[in-house]
Amino acid sequence: MTDFNDAMSVATSGMKAQASRLRHVSENIANADTPGYRRKVISFEEVVNLGRPTGAVTAGPLRLDQSELKRVYDPAHPLADDTGYFDGSNVNLLIEIADAREAQRSYEANLKMFDQVRQMSSALLDLLRR
Amino acid sequence: MDISSLVAQNYAASRTATAPEAGSAGNALGAAAESFMATLQTSENTAMQSMTGGADPHSLVEALAQTELAVQTAVTVRDRVVEAYQEILRMPV
Repeated sequence: MTDFNDAMSVATSGMKAQASRLRHVSENIANADTPGYRRKVISFEEVVNLGRPTGAVTAGPLRLDQSELKRVYDPAHPLADDTGYFDGSNVNLLIEIADAREAQRSYEANLKMFDQVRQMSSALLDLLRR
Repeated sequence: MDISSLVAQNYAASRTATAPEAGSAGNALGAAAESFMATLQTSENTAMQSMTGGADPHSLVEALAQTELAVQTAVTVRDRVVEAYQEILRMPV
């Protein structure tokens, strides 16, 4: 049964990682209009236990996207400089939506794997039960 | 008041009845029973933690699914053993 249990843990780690990715996407979308906000990006890493890769995935450290901030023209804004411009955020809503959709698809794939493992293990035990 | 430690204590106290004997460490059946109990305990701890806001739902679902699998295995094996025993009892002597 260890293979079934391991497969379940790996699928769960994938779901956790995608959930954390979705969290950062929602933070980016929520701060799309915050002046000076840099979008947060995370990378995925394989979990290594005692020097050996376990096959599970985890969300890596948080990084801030260093691309240029959008210059917004609004002379009435309190943060606007002499020229009437201020630094907006570098969040692109289209990218965030695409990222969220990818996280959703990946989450669904992991969920399907989890369900598959459950079905397989029950089917195996059903053989004995008749 | 820490509810989880209280429940864990009760659990540990009632566990001795089902735990295998100390001498059966090398016994395959004893090892299986021990791993079964460990799975059950993990799942209960995770369930309590998620109720008190400590664990996320993913861990809860994973622990419960693993416990379901373990309980199914145990119940199936028990049913087969009991069935075999009854088969022997029904033998005309």
